[in-house]
Amino acid sequence: MESQLSSLIVSLEEKEAIDECLRRLVEDTGATHAMLLDKSGQVIASYGQVERQDTTALGALLAGTFASSREVARLLRERDFRVLFQQGVRENIFTALVEEQWMLAIVFDKGTHIGLVKVLTKKATEELEAILERVRQEGKLRDEVISTSFRTSMEDTIDLLFRD
Amino acid sequence: MALINIAAREIHCKIVYYGPGLSGKTTNLKYIHSQVPKEAKGELLSIATETERTLFFDFLPLDLGRVRGFQTRFHLYTVPGQVLYERTRVAVLNGADGVVFVADSQRNKLEENVRSLQELARNITRQGKRFADFPVVLQYNKRDLPNALPVAVLDRYLRYRTGDGNLVERFEAVATTGKGVFDTLKAISKLVISKL
Repeated sequence: MESQLSSLIVSLEEKEAIDECLRRLVEDTGATHAMLLDKSGQVIASYGQVERQDTTALGALLAGTFASSREVARLLRERDFRVLFQQGVRENIFTALVEEQWMLAIVFDKGTHIGLVKVLTKKATEELEAILERVRQEGKLRDEVISTSFRTSMEDTIDLLFRD
Repeated sequence: MALINIAAREIHCKIVYYGPGLSGKTTNLKYIHSQVPKEAKGELLSIATETERTLFFDFLPLDLGRVRGFQTRFHLYTVPGQVLYERTRVAVLNGADGVVFVADSQRNKLEENVRSLQELARNITRQGKRFADFPVVLQYNKRDLPNALPVAVLDRYLRYRTGDGNLVERFEAVATTGKGVFDTLKAISKLVISKL
């Protein structure tokens, strides 16, 4: 059963730990890019030698692919698929689940060996699982961000922007 | 589940447009994309068949700019409406913070609407959430068609009571011309924010 929390809050400290984890993964594997995604498709953190312009769309598509594969697993009476590998001519993407909440996606080219990516991604997902556990405890920070005045400002912005 | 990134000062919410095939979910997103200022929107991404039917989802990221220092983003998705794609809808619904249920007002579509809403309730419940408390807004689309059912009839079959005892909000719309599209979007956005 999924958590009943209505929002997941990543603090400054945890974000730094995530960034460091992605940086190490990219540098140690020689990959071009690594991203941490929420299962809803949102990009939590991203690290790469080249800053990508299309991370938002990439996040939505990778999360969609993973969610779709989870349904495939269910039909096959498989518990789930923990990893996905997409092989291209130039680049490959290896995506691994971090518990049921997050996904770690790593983009790499021919210069990087898949075996190394698998081993180091496994290590990284373990670290990220520990961070996720701490993030789940951060619910108390919510009231500091989502105050009544914040909600009012947000409603004003919605009225201003969402119109013909 | 909304994501609040304190370090990056960002808030992300996911809204899914759900409903039977050809009820106008993609048309809603296309209209929003055509009207929102350029700086507030990303590309509209569609995974569709050759005949423009949604195969997986449409995706439109909206950026509300900074609200009290927080960059706020709404990601809008549609699901493929055809019965065949139920498991795909489950996949897209994953992690949604709110749903717009787009109903087709035409008389011959009533049964499809009812079935689709029941399926939505089932899928939200499977995610471990109480459907009555989950942010949903109804949109009765295609109000301009001659065979559109009266609103009272659609209310009788589709409009349900939410957890707090109120009737779920509903809007009349003609998505092809944009009528009601932003009223619906505003309502679901505010509902999602109120539940953060």
